[in-house]
Amino acid sequence: MGCRNFSEGAAYLPSESPRGRPQVQLSIRDVTKQYRRGVVALRNFNLELRPGVLGLLGPNGAGKTTLMSILATITRATGGQVLWNGADIAREPDALRRVLGYLPQDFGVYPNLNAVEFLEYLAAVKGLDAATARRRIEELLELVNLTDARKRPLGGFSGGMRQRVGIAQALLNDPELLIVDEPTAGLDPEERVRFRNLLSDLSGERIVILSTHIVSDVEATATDIALIAKGELVAHASPEQLVAQVEGSVWEWVVPSAEINAARQQYLISSTTRRGDGVHVRVLSRMPPRGAVQAVATLEDAYLYCLRQLRQPLGAEAAV
Amino acid sequence: MMHARVLYQMVRADFLERVRRTSFLLALGFSLFLAYAVYTGEVALQLDDYRGVANSAWLGSVIGLVASVWVSLIGFYVVKNAVERDRQTRVGQVLASTPLSRPFYTLGKALSNFVVLGAMVLVLVLAAVVIQVFGGGSRGLDLFNLLTPILLFGLSAVALSAALAVLFETVPGLRGGIGNVVYFFVWMALILLGVPQALPKAQAPYWAPVLDYTGIGTLMGQMQRQLHAMDPLYKGGSSFTVGGLNPPTKTFLWNGLEWNTATLLGRAAPVVASLLLALLAAFFFDRFDPARGRLRGATKAGKSKIRVADALPSNGAAHVAIASAAQLTALAKSEGRNRLPALIAAEVRLMVKGKRLWWYVIAAGLWVGCAASPLGIARAGVLPFAWIWPLLLWSAMGTREVQCLTGSLVFSAARAVPRQLIASYVAGVMVAAATGGGIAVRMLAATDFAGLAAWSGAVLFIPALALALGVWSGSGKAFEALYTAWWYVGPLHHIRGVDFMGTTAGSSTAAGYAAAALLLVCVAYAGRKYRLALA
Repeated sequence: MGCRNFSEGAAYLPSESPRGRPQVQLSIRDVTKQYRRGVVALRNFNLELRPGVLGLLGPNGAGKTTLMSILATITRATGGQVLWNGADIAREPDALRRVLGYLPQDFGVYPNLNAVEFLEYLAAVKGLDAATARRRIEELLELVNLTDARKRPLGGFSGGMRQRVGIAQALLNDPELLIVDEPTAGLDPEERVRFRNLLSDLSGERIVILSTHIVSDVEATATDIALIAKGELVAHASPEQLVAQVEGSVWEWVVPSAEINAARQQYLISSTTRRGDGVHVRVLSRMPPRGAVQAVATLEDAYLYCLRQLRQPLGAEAAV
Repeated sequence: MMHARVLYQMVRADFLERVRRTSFLLALGFSLFLAYAVYTGEVALQLDDYRGVANSAWLGSVIGLVASVWVSLIGFYVVKNAVERDRQTRVGQVLASTPLSRPFYTLGKALSNFVVLGAMVLVLVLAAVVIQVFGGGSRGLDLFNLLTPILLFGLSAVALSAALAVLFETVPGLRGGIGNVVYFFVWMALILLGVPQALPKAQAPYWAPVLDYTGIGTLMGQMQRQLHAMDPLYKGGSSFTVGGLNPPTKTFLWNGLEWNTATLLGRAAPVVASLLLALLAAFFFDRFDPARGRLRGATKAGKSKIRVADALPSNGAAHVAIASAAQLTALAKSEGRNRLPALIAAEVRLMVKGKRLWWYVIAAGLWVGCAASPLGIARAGVLPFAWIWPLLLWSAMGTREVQCLTGSLVFSAARAVPRQLIASYVAGVMVAAATGGGIAVRMLAATDFAGLAAWSGAVLFIPALALALGVWSGSGKAFEALYTAWWYVGPLHHIRGVDFMGTTAGSSTAAGYAAAALLLVCVAYAGRKYRLALA
């Protein structure tokens, strides 16, 4: 059994806007990105998106950030096209930019400005009028829990606080397409929960694309998931559909510490926890190891399974 | 042995990292351009009406001076980023966690800088051979006399620049734009230190060549002594210039420098000095410790960080639910609205924010000086200083998005490229108009409309130059170096044609500089589009 792509069914996509507004749509068609030295970061990538949170999952170097940069009109695809409500973003980037919120993976701030001034600057760049910008900035600072630090120079902010400023700037123009690349990097657990809630709240009438390799972030917020590896779309499905693939094939097994390496050689192990009675391992396998008990499958199990299938299909003993 | 290997690997890694950048090719291209300028006579060595017969010794001497004078100036700006790059790439933090000592690090960086600048000198060596063989030079190829001045003058001078670059990068006050300006004057002072050796009547002590870091005084001194001996009418003048002077009408046979102990000591002196400077740099080097570096700024930021952290709520769980996206006010769509004035105001704030009170006090003092001094004095004596003062404000134009990594935030907004570029330019113009505004008031009062036109040309030109150089180079260094040199040669000496500030009547062509400003803004726009297309 391979990792299935469910995108043709698209049953998990909301079909119409709750408020009856024209529904936004993002179409990624045969997009390829080849860099100058011949490295292909994306190859014939196809995806149709409507409102909801898309979790973009993939290992390092899979092409997630390249895809995000193309969608954010920062870089251009070398092949294919991206359509925002039917308009090609390469030809009409401003149609998308007006309604785009983008939080890049690596971004900086102007260290001498405070949070309000920095957001006011970006609000001006985005074309917001002064009164609207002021009101919006106050709300956003409250939202990202920076109200008390609003007048401090950004140069003195910690990494997590800068990240929250980044989140605030992405929401300045009430975006219809929100692209966030590794948004929880540097956030403490409390702020991470807060951000996940925020993404869920935001997803009503807009498309949110969340790129990360933290599966739990996607699990908590995504309405559908795109798995990407080596520049190609490996799977596009709802979290439930992905998890269903490994349902009944996840086992929890207690292994003596000395035997853990042998177990790794034999099975695909998704996690290990050391306890008093040995190492508790989660195993992905069609046949249960001796003494193992069935466990509830998670998105992380499904993710590992798909990546493993791509690299090296599981052998008969260990295959799901 | 182990130390040598570590040093080699450090220099090798640094060198490879640099040579794989476009800027390295540009640096080599600059060397080629200098050689071409010598070939065409744009860069020329003259002794009153004399120049040397175009033999290997003469060509080697001229290109040797080019290497020691110009490569040591421009090369400094080329290599003054070795430590900063380690800081930006965070490689420095990794290095700091190893047993690598501070002197070893600064020495390695100086050596790496020297290798890069040595490559520029090497290009001049190759170009000299090509010119001598194919360029119509006379008396055949004399490799010794062709290459020794280039190698000995060039390499010893760039060794000092390489070490000074490291020193400037480690001394907190000299790291940024101020250091770039200061180096220009240091370079001039070092050249002037050597010039007395060129005066035939100067009873320079035996060890005097030791102070002649470029070798210009030593070389010209020997040439002048030869000319004095052969032509009693020779007045003792000499110049090493770019374009400009009357073409020489006479030639003399120059058979090459006399390499005596003093001359050789003079070449060894910059090398020894560079070693000492590299070691001195270790004293200032903060070893990438943010608590030690940036002194006052870091202390302030550190305090601010603690206060910020204290100000934040500690009982996080209660705050997770305080605000939600549902509370955000939906925005009315504002398609097609330009709101350029707001963006210009934001750009002005971005430019001037962070300057200390004394900066404004001095700017205000210069403004008052322009407005209150007699018009001629204000124009010639005060205005140049009023317009060198905001140098670092202008040099950040077009580079901020690269230096602060905000490009992806700014340029993902609608019509951001033209709007932000125009706003940034207008902000620069406003800074120029404000800081030099005192003189405009005086000119208006005196109905000096020609002067006012020249002033306006400068107001338009200066920020356009900064923007174009900033966008294309991604750094403020190019503007800081070029503007300082131009400011010194043109406005400060009131040289007609290059005095873009119009410090004397008729010394500037307002229309020309306004047209140049327009062209430079277009160049900046093209550069921005080009760089974004490369992303």
